[in-house]
Amino acid sequence: MGFEEVRFEQDSEKAIHNKPLQKALVNVTNRFRTARNKASEDVPNWDNLRAAAREIKKETIENLDKYLLMLEERVKRAGGKVHWAKDAEEASQIIVNIAREGNVKSVVKSKSMATEEIELNNSFEDAGIKVIETDLGEYIIQLAGERPSHIIAPAIHKTKEDISKLFSAKLGIPRYDKPEELTKVAREILRSEFLNADMGVSGANFAVAETGTIVIVENEGNARLTTTVPKIHVALVGIEKLIPRYEDLSLFLTVLARSATGQKSSTYVSFITGPKRSTDIDGPEEFHLVLLDNGRSKILASEETRESLYCIRCGACLNNCPVYRKVGGHSYGWVYSGPIGAIITPQLMGIDKAPELPFASSLCGACKDVCPVKIDFPKVLLELRKNVVESKKGSTGIGERFGIRLWRFTVEHESIYKITNKLSYYFQLPWKGRNGKLNSLPYPFSRWTDQRDFPAVAKKTFRERWKNNKGETG
Amino acid sequence: MSNNSREEILHTIRKGLEGVGKNEGKVLADANRNFHSEAEEVHKRIDESQSALITQFAGELKEVNTNVIETGSKNEIKKSLLGLIKEKELKSFSIWESQFLKEINLKQELKDAGLKLVTAKNKNRIANSDIGITEVDYAIADTGTLVLLTDKNQPRSVSLLPPIHLAIVRPENLVRNIGDLFVILKSRLENIEDITSCMTFITGPSRTADIELSLTLGVHGPKELFVLTL
Repeated sequence: MGFEEVRFEQDSEKAIHNKPLQKALVNVTNRFRTARNKASEDVPNWDNLRAAAREIKKETIENLDKYLLMLEERVKRAGGKVHWAKDAEEASQIIVNIAREGNVKSVVKSKSMATEEIELNNSFEDAGIKVIETDLGEYIIQLAGERPSHIIAPAIHKTKEDISKLFSAKLGIPRYDKPEELTKVAREILRSEFLNADMGVSGANFAVAETGTIVIVENEGNARLTTTVPKIHVALVGIEKLIPRYEDLSLFLTVLARSATGQKSSTYVSFITGPKRSTDIDGPEEFHLVLLDNGRSKILASEETRESLYCIRCGACLNNCPVYRKVGGHSYGWVYSGPIGAIITPQLMGIDKAPELPFASSLCGACKDVCPVKIDFPKVLLELRKNVVESKKGSTGIGERFGIRLWRFTVEHESIYKITNKLSYYFQLPWKGRNGKLNSLPYPFSRWTDQRDFPAVAKKTFRERWKNNKGETG
Repeated sequence: MSNNSREEILHTIRKGLEGVGKNEGKVLADANRNFHSEAEEVHKRIDESQSALITQFAGELKEVNTNVIETGSKNEIKKSLLGLIKEKELKSFSIWESQFLKEINLKQELKDAGLKLVTAKNKNRIANSDIGITEVDYAIADTGTLVLLTDKNQPRSVSLLPPIHLAIVRPENLVRNIGDLFVILKSRLENIEDITSCMTFITGPSRTADIELSLTLGVHGPKELFVLTL
């Protein structure tokens, strides 16, 4: 399960031939897309809200050091402890140590991409501490030993039959086939886990610098249980999750819920500031905030790609991406998928570990159009493509450079361009398939046609057709 | 170890932001907004449209699978609640001790009706009780959201662990939208230390669609949510 290298080409090929996955992808992305579109149209000034959210994120990121120190101070004042982790290993170590010091035997977790990122579950297991994912989708994924395939709906690649078999095999229970029955089984098992757990680990959707509050958005209630029932609460939060002011939440919660699932408000939002107060009747006695860098602070240095850190993880870019909609989450090789995965995985892990991802896009810009903080995905992708090529892991060999020169020479000389057009029509004929397209060209063009057809060169050029048709179309 | 990382992270951030961070004065600049006068404005506008807000709120609640019980008086609250207890065969309860709930003495009424009172101190007991009763601090009309603030009389588990949550909403606690709410919250936050350890927004009962996108209620939190409006 550990991260080694992204193999987008190979994994996406597999995904495309996986029929149940293709069906699930269409269902989930269509459902979320329709809901998001409706929810955003309901808000008269939606684009202004997006612009305002972007401005606030920009302000936060450009003053990140100051806001982090403010957050630290406010969390401490509320009675919480703050830890700084420069990478995944250190973050896991910090959290496992908190567990050891608290004599923790069992941990419940609510959904958190950051904990996926640092592979926290492995560290707990290595330390002999039991850890249970409690979001229903994540629980299914944990039982199956897999990775989430969608930020919002992690187990969407599994059918109810898959889940029924999985529950029966792993939990030793009879086969239940209805989603309601399976959900009920999970509720009962997880409820007793909550009541027995010594520690709860959550992520956060936002951390408010001004008040030291972390905010968790969810529908199931497992994050509420995780942060209420056990005696220790640990929140692992990426340093980019900050927002400056308490009242900024009204804007961010509005755009997040509508962009993610199309809800006006998510079912539960928890605003947690420190541990329980001495007069409170329930809630955790200890609160730890672990601030995770893991490559984020380096992204800041690039003006062109800095905005990757504005992301609030709503998943709208996934649902609207023609590439994600075909290849699914696992093809992106790591915890973040879709357009956001294509831009942050190479930046967090190193461009040499994921050189294919910046190219896993048609640059159509659908992601940019729906992004609640208006991240300019095509711009960032192009910058990253440039970095890939410059790091020499890219594909500009002598052949490609020669090809581009030849192309340039041709289009710069009109007569040669005309002749080339005619000639290519005849040259292509041996490869022209029955559908009128080129479907198996020799190397190096086979790298294109192995995956999809190439449109054939027409017999008549556009100029010729224009001349002939001019009279008809007026 | 951790301290070194703190310095290292801050150093990398500062280095990365060289040439950008010239807006020193901008940090929290909006804190200069006057939330007291804004809150006054907000309250005025809410008062003008209160009955419309109640209708809107009830409509939104129904959209999110919440049962709305409209009552006209304190007596009706008791009557509706006793009806529910009979219908659902409820045997035990936990309850918040807000000013209003104390005034109408609901706790005693329920005890008199034969229900067992459970405290939030014991997580196992409250998890096995039948209903949790709260009186919300605020409610947001345009999303159907309940806003609950934790304090010494208002423990978190009451709206979380029992299978049924019943929330009482008084009209004076309704706000138009989340923007209004944060203006009011901010205006009342004289001192950052006074902030509650936990504020919770609740919009409908617990739900999931993690299995084939099929909507299922009551996965972790309460399976049923009742809102009693006055």
